[in-house]
Amino acid sequence: MFGKKKGNDKQNAEQKKELDQSYWAYVKRQFRKNKRALYSFYIVLFLAVIAVFADFIANEKPLVCKYEGSIYFPVVKEYAVDLGLAQWPKHFQNVDWKTINYDFAVFPPIPYLPRNLDYSCNYCSPIGDQPVKSTRWRHWLGTDDLGRDVLAGMIHGTRIAFMVGIVAMGLATFIGIILGAFAGFFGDTEFKMSRISVVFTLIGLFLGFFYGFLSRSYILSDSFGEGSGAVFKQLLLGIGIMAGIVALANLIAIPFKKIKFLAKPVTIPIDILVTRLIEIIVSIPTLVLILAVVAVTEPSIFNVMLVIGLLRWTGIARFVRAELLRVRRLEYIEAATALGFSKLRAMFKHALPNALSPVFIAVAFGIAAAILIESFLSFLGIGVPAEVITWGKLLAIARTAPAAWWMAIFPGFAIFITVTLFNLIGEGLTDALDPRLKQ
Amino acid sequence: MFQYVLKRILIFIPTLIIISIVIFMLNIFAPGDPVEKMLGATPEGEPIPIEAYNAERKKLGLDLPVFYFAISSAAYPDTLYRIPKKADRENLSRLINDYGNWDKVDQYYKSTQALNDAVWAVKKDSLNPSALIKIKGAANNLSIRYKDKDIMKAFGKIKKYAEPIPSTAAILPFYEKALASYNDMKANPTLGKTKIPALNWYGFGNQYHNWFSKFLMFDFGRSFQDKRPIADKIWDYVYWTMIISLISIILTYLISIPLGIFSARNKGTRADGIVTTVLFILYSLPSFWVATLLITFLCQPDYLNWFPPYGIGEVKEGTGFFGTLGIRAYHLILPLFCWTYGSLAFLSRQMRGGMLSVLRQDYIRTARAKGLDEKKVIWKHAFRNSLLPIITLFANVFPLMISGSIVIEIIFTIPGMGRVLFEAIKYPDYPMVFTVVMLLALLSMIGYLIADILYAIVDPRITFK
Repeated sequence: MFGKKKGNDKQNAEQKKELDQSYWAYVKRQFRKNKRALYSFYIVLFLAVIAVFADFIANEKPLVCKYEGSIYFPVVKEYAVDLGLAQWPKHFQNVDWKTINYDFAVFPPIPYLPRNLDYSCNYCSPIGDQPVKSTRWRHWLGTDDLGRDVLAGMIHGTRIAFMVGIVAMGLATFIGIILGAFAGFFGDTEFKMSRISVVFTLIGLFLGFFYGFLSRSYILSDSFGEGSGAVFKQLLLGIGIMAGIVALANLIAIPFKKIKFLAKPVTIPIDILVTRLIEIIVSIPTLVLILAVVAVTEPSIFNVMLVIGLLRWTGIARFVRAELLRVRRLEYIEAATALGFSKLRAMFKHALPNALSPVFIAVAFGIAAAILIESFLSFLGIGVPAEVITWGKLLAIARTAPAAWWMAIFPGFAIFITVTLFNLIGEGLTDALDPRLKQ
Repeated sequence: MFQYVLKRILIFIPTLIIISIVIFMLNIFAPGDPVEKMLGATPEGEPIPIEAYNAERKKLGLDLPVFYFAISSAAYPDTLYRIPKKADRENLSRLINDYGNWDKVDQYYKSTQALNDAVWAVKKDSLNPSALIKIKGAANNLSIRYKDKDIMKAFGKIKKYAEPIPSTAAILPFYEKALASYNDMKANPTLGKTKIPALNWYGFGNQYHNWFSKFLMFDFGRSFQDKRPIADKIWDYVYWTMIISLISIILTYLISIPLGIFSARNKGTRADGIVTTVLFILYSLPSFWVATLLITFLCQPDYLNWFPPYGIGEVKEGTGFFGTLGIRAYHLILPLFCWTYGSLAFLSRQMRGGMLSVLRQDYIRTARAKGLDEKKVIWKHAFRNSLLPIITLFANVFPLMISGSIVIEIIFTIPGMGRVLFEAIKYPDYPMVFTVVMLLALLSMIGYLIADILYAIVDPRITFK
C-alpha cells in the first residue's frame, strides 16, 4: 500500500512538473533529457570557474601569508594594486615570492604563473624526476623550453579562451538579435516611416557617422595604444553619439509631419535588406579576413574578438528572424498592438523573449568556433600579443621541440575538449528545441 | 530556375565589391610606405630623391585619390593626396585635425621641406659630423611629429647644434622661417572648420578603382619581397591548393556517402554506435592539433619516423610519372588526412541524418510493403533523395577546404596559398597578403555560388526568396 501511495505522489509531482508549460520550462526539461549535453554544460561551468579564479588556482604569490608579524593576502591584494587602489609594501616589491622568509604561507594549488621561468627545469617531463624541492613544487604537466609550467599556462589560457568566446559571441548576439528581430517582426511590409523621417534619418546617419567616428578618428586610433578597455569605451561613445544624432534628427522631423506630402509613409523592406546583408557576410571567409586584419594591426586579442563578432552574427540573426516571422502572427502580439502599444514595444517586450531560445544554439556553436579561431591564430603566433599565454601558443612550442610530447598533447587536448563541449551543448539544444521531437 | 541563378549571380557582385573594399581599406591602413618599400633602403638613411620617389609612386598608381569619394571635415583640402610622401600626409592630416587652418599648415609644411633640403645640402666637414647627424634627425622629426612639445624640442635642437658651426649656420634662415610659420599656424587655429562635415567627389580615377579593375584582369602588382609581379609567382601556389583541395573533396565524398548510408542502415547497432562516436570525435578534433600530433609522433626520430614532416618532396629530373606520384603521395598522405577528416566527419553525419529522415518517409514504407528487397529500397528509392542535401553541402565543404588549406599548408610546409599567405604576413609583404586574401575569398565565394546553383538544379522547388 505504501509503495502504491509513494508511486502516486511521484506521479503527482511529475504531473505538477508537466503542468509548468511555459516555454522556458519546456526547453529546460528537454535539455535535461539529453544527458551528454547536460554533463557538458556542467563541465563548461566548471571550466568557467577555473577561468574566473585562475589567479587563485595558479599563482606565484601565496594566497595567505604571515610576514614579520602581519598577515597578507597577496593574490587579492594584486587586484587592488592593479586597480591603483593600493601599493605593495616595500618588502614585497620586486621579490621572488618563493624565497621570502614567511612565518607561514599558503600557496595556491599550482604555485606558478604561466610566465615564471624555472631555469633548472626546462623541458621537464611530467613523468619521472624533476629537479624541484618537493612534490609540492612539481610541474604536474611538465614545462616548456624556458621552464614555464604548462599546467599554469593552461589554467590561465582557459581565461583567454572563454573571454574570446564570450566577448566575440556577445557582440555577435547583440547584432544578430537586433537585425534578426527587425527583419522578422516587420518583414517587408510592416515597417513604415514618413518621407521626412527617412530623409532626416539618412542625414542623421551621415552626421552621426561624421561626429561619432570620422571627426574623432585620431582619438579612436590613439585609444588603440591604451589597451582594449579604452578602445571599447571610445567605440561605445562613437556609437552613442551616432545613435543620439539619429534620434535627434527624428525628433526634429516631427513638426514637419504636419505637411501632408512629407508625412506620407514609405514602406522600408527591412527583411530584404537584412537577408541580403546576411548573404554577403556569410560569403566572407572568416579566417581569411581575420588573417588580413591581423596582418595590418598591432597584435591584440581585442581585434580578433571584434572581427569574429562582426562576422559571426548571421546564424543568430537567421534564427531570430525565423522565430519572429512565426511569433508575429500569434494572437497575443495582435492583442498587444490592438491595445495600442507601439510596435517596438510589442517586438522587444512581447515577441522577442519567446524567440530567444534558438539563439543559444547558435551561440554555443559560435563560442566553439571562436575559441578554435583564437587558438589557431595563437598557434601560428600572429595576432595575439607575445606576452599572453594561450593554449594555442603552448601547442605551438611542441613544433619546435618534438621530444616534449606533453607540449603536443595537453594544450591541444584542452582546445579539443572545450570545443567539443560547446558543440555537444549546441547539439543538445538543437535536439531540445526541435519541434519534430515534441511528441 | 534561370531567374534564380541570375539573381544569385547578382548577389555575387555586390559581395565581391564589399569584400574588395574591406580588403583595399586594410591595404591602405597597412603600416609603412609602399613606395619606400618598393624602392628599398637608401645608404645612410639619406632621403630618397623626390623625382625617383614620385616616379615610383606614379608607377604604383598611388598618386591618385584613394576612393571615389571622401568624407572629411571642411578643414581638409581635397588635394591632400597630392602630397607625395605617406608619412608627410599622415602628419599633415594630424596637424589639420589639431589646428584646422590648411593654408597655414601648408606654409609650415613647405617651410619644413625647405629646411630639410637645406640641412641635407650642407656638406660634411671636419667641424660638424656629429652635429650634422643630430640636426638631420631633428629636421626629420619636424615632418613626422605633430605634438607641440616634440616639435619645439626639434626646433630647439636644430638651433642648438646649428648656431656654433659656420657651415651649418647657413640653415638658420630656413630655421627662422619654419619656426615663424609654425608659430603662425599655432596662433591662428580655425578649429570650427574641423567640426563641419564635407563630402569630396573624386570620380573614377582613384586607387581603388584601378586596383580592383587590375585585379579582375589578374594584374596583382608586385611583391615587396623580390619586386616580381605577383601574378607570375602565384599560380604555382594556387595549383597546389586546388589540387589538394580537389583530391580531398573527392575522397570526402567517396568515403562519407557509403559510411553515412551504412551507419543509417544499421541504426542502433553497435557498429553504428562506434561509427557515430568516432565521427563526432573527428568532427571536433582541431586539425592543427592533429597535424601537430602526427608530426610529433610519426615524423620524428624521437618516436616513429615513418613520414616526412614537411614539403611535397623533391622529384629528380627524369623520374617517371609513377615515381613522381609515389614521392608526392608519400609526402601528402598526412596532410591529406588532416585536410580531409574534418569535412569527412561532417559530411558523413549529414548523410546519416539525411538517410534516416528519408527512411522514415511513407514511400519507403510503401516500397518495403510492396516486397522490394532492402538493397533496392535503399539504393533506388532512399539514396537519391537523401543525396540532395549532400550535394548542396558542397557550399560548406568547399570554403572549409580552402581555409583548411591555410592550416595544413602552414604546418606541413606545402607551397600553397595558405603557406604563401603566412609567409607574406610574417615578412610583411602587403601586396602579396592582400592578393592571396582576395583570391581565397574569391574561391570561397565561387564555392558558395556553385553550391547554390547546384541546389537549384537538384531541387526545382527552390526559388530565390
